[in-house]
Amino acid sequence: MIYLNHGATSYPKPQCVTDRVAEQLAALPSGQFRSTAGIDDGDLFTAAREGIAKILGVRSERIFFTSGSTEALNFLISGFHLPASAFLTTAAEHNSVLRPLFQLIEHEELPSIVPVDQNGRISPEAIEQAILPRHKVLIVNHCSNVTGAIADLKTIGQIAKAHGLWFLVDVSQSAGCIPMSLDEVGVHGAAFTGHKALLGIQGSGGMYLSEDLPISPVKFGGTGRDSSKIRYTDGDAEWEVGTQNSPGIAALATAATYVLRQDVAKIHQYESRLVTETKQRLSALPNVHVIGMTGDDYGPVVSFTIDGMNCADVSYILQNSYDIVTRSGLQCAPLIHTYLGTAPKGCVRASFGFSNTMEDVDALAYAVREITEAL
Amino acid sequence: MQVISKRPSIERCTESGWDAYDLITSLPIDDELIDSLRMFEGSFLYMKSLKRPFFKLEADLYVMKGVKGDPFFRVALHRDQEAYLDQMIDQINAANKR
Repeated sequence: MIYLNHGATSYPKPQCVTDRVAEQLAALPSGQFRSTAGIDDGDLFTAAREGIAKILGVRSERIFFTSGSTEALNFLISGFHLPASAFLTTAAEHNSVLRPLFQLIEHEELPSIVPVDQNGRISPEAIEQAILPRHKVLIVNHCSNVTGAIADLKTIGQIAKAHGLWFLVDVSQSAGCIPMSLDEVGVHGAAFTGHKALLGIQGSGGMYLSEDLPISPVKFGGTGRDSSKIRYTDGDAEWEVGTQNSPGIAALATAATYVLRQDVAKIHQYESRLVTETKQRLSALPNVHVIGMTGDDYGPVVSFTIDGMNCADVSYILQNSYDIVTRSGLQCAPLIHTYLGTAPKGCVRASFGFSNTMEDVDALAYAVREITEAL
Repeated sequence: MQVISKRPSIERCTESGWDAYDLITSLPIDDELIDSLRMFEGSFLYMKSLKRPFFKLEADLYVMKGVKGDPFFRVALHRDQEAYLDQMIDQINAANKR
């Protein structure tokens, strides 16, 4: 089986990650301030925060764990307690941004959506032109899960700063496979997931919150500390409530060490070679349309359509006739397809990971060629 | 060959609002079963030259697709057409009695 669905979740995980999860599950449970067993899991949480912080380019004490990007984005978006119309975002966003935003809509006051070009690229100029006085928060997807297009965070960060916007970034698809320095480019909040290029497990992830970010928690519960206090009145509510996912956080700590040892820049370089080769091979085939052919810096995603074929059928054939796992459809990012010309059915997405090889590219190109020849 | 059971598909067509089922067959799908599906209305596609041939029957209210040699094929229907699925299975089984 050839796994080209790392954009959904990475597979296989490094052996050290699966071993770490098993060790954590077998060990005496971490107390998280709730046990007499005296297990100090501070090191575990600190190690994970430090590893993730190095990958994101932020301060480790401002990393908070959640169940993943979706929960982090819900916290980030709802935590402002602003109407939907105060938000400016892009057509490249995943539903983990769009759905929380659109749930805020009251009285038809919609969030503003900046279009993308036919390659899925976000233009910083288009963002600047779309800014209105009512906007307070800008949310940008660092790397599209549909096209792999990478947003120019540096320029966008400068624009956000110049207009006094809070700048939030979704790094679900880029954390661990695309170098970033979020603090340097003026990001105030970021959401990451643990189970994609960070190579952790599902149900793990978190967020980075700059110290000055004016959001407040929207989820409350036990923390193991200060239990007599049942109402927060002075803005000191905590972000990590309920028993934390220590197997997932242990996996993240180990996975982050693994990713850092491999070097994110080298991972990006390696995966870019796979992407470029795949795009060249597929775009040379008749009736195949590869999305995102301009520019040379993309995340590890190649999406395409075949004339005369439903994308779901292409993925079905790749899976069942050639044992190649892909994803077809809208990839939970419905707005971008309007601009790519792939609405309403979407496209086929092959998404690569560090474990893929050029042989996998050969196999995909061979299979797609056979499909086009069979039409 | 007979359809011996049905189960909700792992690919639930959730993005399109359809429901999908895998129909489990008593033997690996062969040309005879694939040909028998032509009795249903719709456009029929058979890509014989693939490593493992793919077939698809598409009509307004349903889609059937599968791969020769697999022990199942997939049927997707509009959500309000589920009752029609059992009728289809009966017709397929009647056409493939052997």
